[in-house]
Amino acid sequence: MSQRSPIRRRTRTAVPAALAAAATLALAACAGPSVGAEPDADASETAAAGTDWSQVTPASEITWWSNHPGASQEVEKELIRRFNEEHPEITVNLVTAGAGYDEIAQRFQAASQTDELPDLVISSDVWWFRYHLNDQIMPLDDVFEYLEVDTEDFNPALYSDYEYEGSHWAAPYARSTPLFYYNKDMWAAAGLPDRGPTTWQELEEWSEALRPQVPADGAPLGLATGPSWSAWWFMNMLWGQGGQYSDGWEMTLDTPEALAAGDFLHELFHEKKVATVSKDSNADFAAGVIASTVGSTGSLTGILESATFEVGTAYLPDGPEGSGTPTGGTGLAIPSSRTPEQQLAAAMFLAFITDTDNTAYFSQNTGYMPVRTSAVESDAMKAVYEQTPQFRTAVDQLADKARSQDWVRVFVPSADQILTDAIEEIVLKGTDPETAFGSVTPKVETAYRENVEPYL
Amino acid sequence: MSTTVLAPPAPRSGQTDPPAASPTSPASRRTRSRRRRSWLAFALLAGPNVLLLLVFVYRPLLESLYLSTLQWNLGSPVARFIGLGNYREWFTSPDTAQVLLATGVFTVVTVGGSLVLGLGLALALDRKLPGRAVARTVAFAPYVLSGFAVGILWLFIFDPRYGLMSTLLQAVGMSSPQWYTEPPWPLVMIIVVYVWKNLGYVALIYLAGLQAIPQDVRDAAALDGATSARTLRSIVLPLLTPTTFFLLVTMLLSSLQSFDIIQAMTKGGPLGSTTTLMYQIYEEGFVNGRAGYASAGATILFVLLLAVTAVQLRFVERKVHYA
Repeated sequence: MSQRSPIRRRTRTAVPAALAAAATLALAACAGPSVGAEPDADASETAAAGTDWSQVTPASEITWWSNHPGASQEVEKELIRRFNEEHPEITVNLVTAGAGYDEIAQRFQAASQTDELPDLVISSDVWWFRYHLNDQIMPLDDVFEYLEVDTEDFNPALYSDYEYEGSHWAAPYARSTPLFYYNKDMWAAAGLPDRGPTTWQELEEWSEALRPQVPADGAPLGLATGPSWSAWWFMNMLWGQGGQYSDGWEMTLDTPEALAAGDFLHELFHEKKVATVSKDSNADFAAGVIASTVGSTGSLTGILESATFEVGTAYLPDGPEGSGTPTGGTGLAIPSSRTPEQQLAAAMFLAFITDTDNTAYFSQNTGYMPVRTSAVESDAMKAVYEQTPQFRTAVDQLADKARSQDWVRVFVPSADQILTDAIEEIVLKGTDPETAFGSVTPKVETAYRENVEPYL
Repeated sequence: MSTTVLAPPAPRSGQTDPPAASPTSPASRRTRSRRRRSWLAFALLAGPNVLLLLVFVYRPLLESLYLSTLQWNLGSPVARFIGLGNYREWFTSPDTAQVLLATGVFTVVTVGGSLVLGLGLALALDRKLPGRAVARTVAFAPYVLSGFAVGILWLFIFDPRYGLMSTLLQAVGMSSPQWYTEPPWPLVMIIVVYVWKNLGYVALIYLAGLQAIPQDVRDAAALDGATSARTLRSIVLPLLTPTTFFLLVTMLLSSLQSFDIIQAMTKGGPLGSTTTLMYQIYEEGFVNGRAGYASAGATILFVLLLAVTAVQLRFVERKVHYA
């Protein structure tokens, strides 16, 4: 008996020890966000505003997290090489931090509690505001002013996309809009003029002539659904009917204008059968299954390469009550928690790669739009437009029709998914718009109340 | 410690020997030092593993439990304690029923389908046929492929317009369902791919089980005039129950945690029809940034897995015949 006692004693001491260990772990687990503290949206603003950039020496090494939008890895390396010709003292490490905007964002969010942060990060239209809410990025206005960056020359619509409460939280980089693509061969065979429809009404009228040109399972128009996509192009239809997702933070999907847009969408797919659902509308378009589609300007190069017919590009059609094309794509932001030295070096690099020559270079090699007005008129871009006039449509549309997105879609986490669900309800299931939109408003309002409002 | 072992105190003259029963007697000291040595060996061998488990399994588990009580935007430096608020929201959310239904259907059909088809494949491969080794390798190959790559490949196969599946269906006079866009077909599509991917693994384990069944039992059944169907029902299947039980436990756990193929093929859509509990956790946490709500989902999944395993150990294992 006595021989067992030491073991027993050990077991007895082991239990409290294990409990103590567990408690320690539980406490260690608390080292995440600080709980109960009032969110302070102004913290980063004041920190950045307090930096006297003239007293700061730029860091000798910075890290850039990118997903290389538009298969641009080599282009980005070339941008770094060019930067180093002017600034050999600053090394830029290009890191592939994800395959898309969302993956970069996930990694950036997960790294936010650590030191493993980049000095420059991809910030897409639906992500930058969340970074700002979380105090993860700094406003660029002061440092750009110190570096004498000509921000007036940025395309106003593209630069103002990153503006909130008087500060700009990112600079435009790989920017796109939706574009109307049409099959010129089918258009000619149907006896239609060589241009896109000016209004959705006109496309409906043309669809009778276009239907014989497509296979039985095709349609005059093909549109893809899914997250980060359908709620983007649908904004054009909403605006065309005089509606919008939201007015500021106020949801407006229950207005007669928004419901009219929902009805229009329903008719497009179900009653009039002008449109069909495409899983990959670019591929269906290139294969001739659909006569036209709405795609990103960023897909232009790919579509031109894969299509065996002549591709026409046009503005998104207008509606009876209005028009507009939403902007999209990504900008670049500088994390607020980096040292002023790193931030200054990152800002110098950011200013360099978005200057006139380099945004033109990036645009030529990817199909994204030049982010500076001066670049659009540069000789380099003029030569591109001369050779491939389809590229010109995108920048003209940007100048004529671009409109910043409705706040809730881009600023409220999960709102894009909720809106997508409603659009898919109408398109895939034929649900009537009032029912489909009716469930959206309370969900988005809850998301706003929980995930945005407390941090504003 | 080591100094006392290396340099025992020299016995002094005139000192009385300690009583034999005292714990410091040489015999007891030997036992103790032996025990201490084995405890040390145990600690050395198990210690690193226990430490890794604590750091990488139990710590995240506790952390996740703690996070589930917060309302926290992933990445934000601040959070708010809301107690059971996330759980209340999950249990009252209109989405929950659909998520549970998708999870249930996916799990039951994937596990059931894999087991039935895997057993059939194993029975077919358990014969002395030419090319058997090649056939076994071919059947097992999908299991070692990356789930994401498998998902992308099957997307091509299922394409309603250009896919192989559509061509095959047209050959027998059927038109292809809208695999991508029309529920419930996206869920069916995911299930087919998971079953296909798991089939080789299930067949391999069953094959091992089949080959462990003693030949003399089968011979005896044959002598008694049992048909092959009867042998299968009364001899083979009962003797395979340990294998079936093992597969049931492991397959259930892995299907409830499936993620890769869903992410590659449907991203939980359309209309949330392929959003399983596991996928919902990812989506809420990393896409919507609701780390607290996602952690609550993770805790619910953990409890569900624990319950499923406990039920199996308690009730299903009773039906297992260990040879």
